[in-house]
Amino acid sequence: MSATTDAATASMIALIGSLADNKSALGRRYGEWAVSAPTIESAVAAAAMAQDELGHARSTYPVLAKLGVARDEDGLDAGHPMAVIAQELPDWASFIAANLVVDGILTTFVAATRESSIEPLAQRARKILQEEGAHRRHAEAWARRFAGHGGPDLELLQRRIHEMWAEASGWPGPDDDPGFAAAIDQGMVSEGPGAIRSRVRDWLTGLMGSHGVELAL
Amino acid sequence: MSRADETVWEVFARKEYEEPLHHVGTVTEDDEDLAIVCARAIYDEQPWIHMILVPRNQIREVIRA
Repeated sequence: MSATTDAATASMIALIGSLADNKSALGRRYGEWAVSAPTIESAVAAAAMAQDELGHARSTYPVLAKLGVARDEDGLDAGHPMAVIAQELPDWASFIAANLVVDGILTTFVAATRESSIEPLAQRARKILQEEGAHRRHAEAWARRFAGHGGPDLELLQRRIHEMWAEASGWPGPDDDPGFAAAIDQGMVSEGPGAIRSRVRDWLTGLMGSHGVELAL
Repeated sequence: MSRADETVWEVFARKEYEEPLHHVGTVTEDDEDLAIVCARAIYDEQPWIHMILVPRNQIREVIRA
């Protein structure tokens, strides 16, 4: 194995492990709102999204084994997720911000692995993306609802989006990460950190902008 | 908060294309996208291959005994 391949594999191991950790934490955070969402319909949707995320985490961890990484346990211990989703989300605006920003960043990375040369990752990515379509629809609809209501609720959502973006936008790593660049060269992932950030930033600013809400991300 | 003025959607689904769509329940949501997400989450007890929503206020009665 060449040094370049080593760097690429090491980067992918770190990203895939973190992806699973964050999906596990996101599943827990969604699940905690399954009993206290604003409407019973949204509570059920939160439960379904929690189930999806926990399933994605459970199916992603074994990819690490395929890359030669031994895991001590088979559980969903959430590992080392982003700080913004490491604790219970304090309000519904935080839930929607996590749905938009954290789920958005993670899913955009997953989309970049749909044709990955790491075949077990590509297989899981295709399944994950099918389910993430509903998550995105949920996030967009609630963003629209917040924008329509305006006032303090919208201000809180904007603040939560900025808080989530401050951490989640850095999740893929620096634009010039050599390991990530090597992973692109090896066909393990199709887009780099900068492109992933840009896609999510453009989507979020476009989504909120279409409802007259400016986001400076 | 009253939800009396929100849109009620009738949900229909089927497990095989050879079957007719069956009424499986309702969801109450003003937003069409949230209604779709919620219907999929709420009525997931069967392996449906097709599910549709119809706003109740768009249904026209033909017979009412």
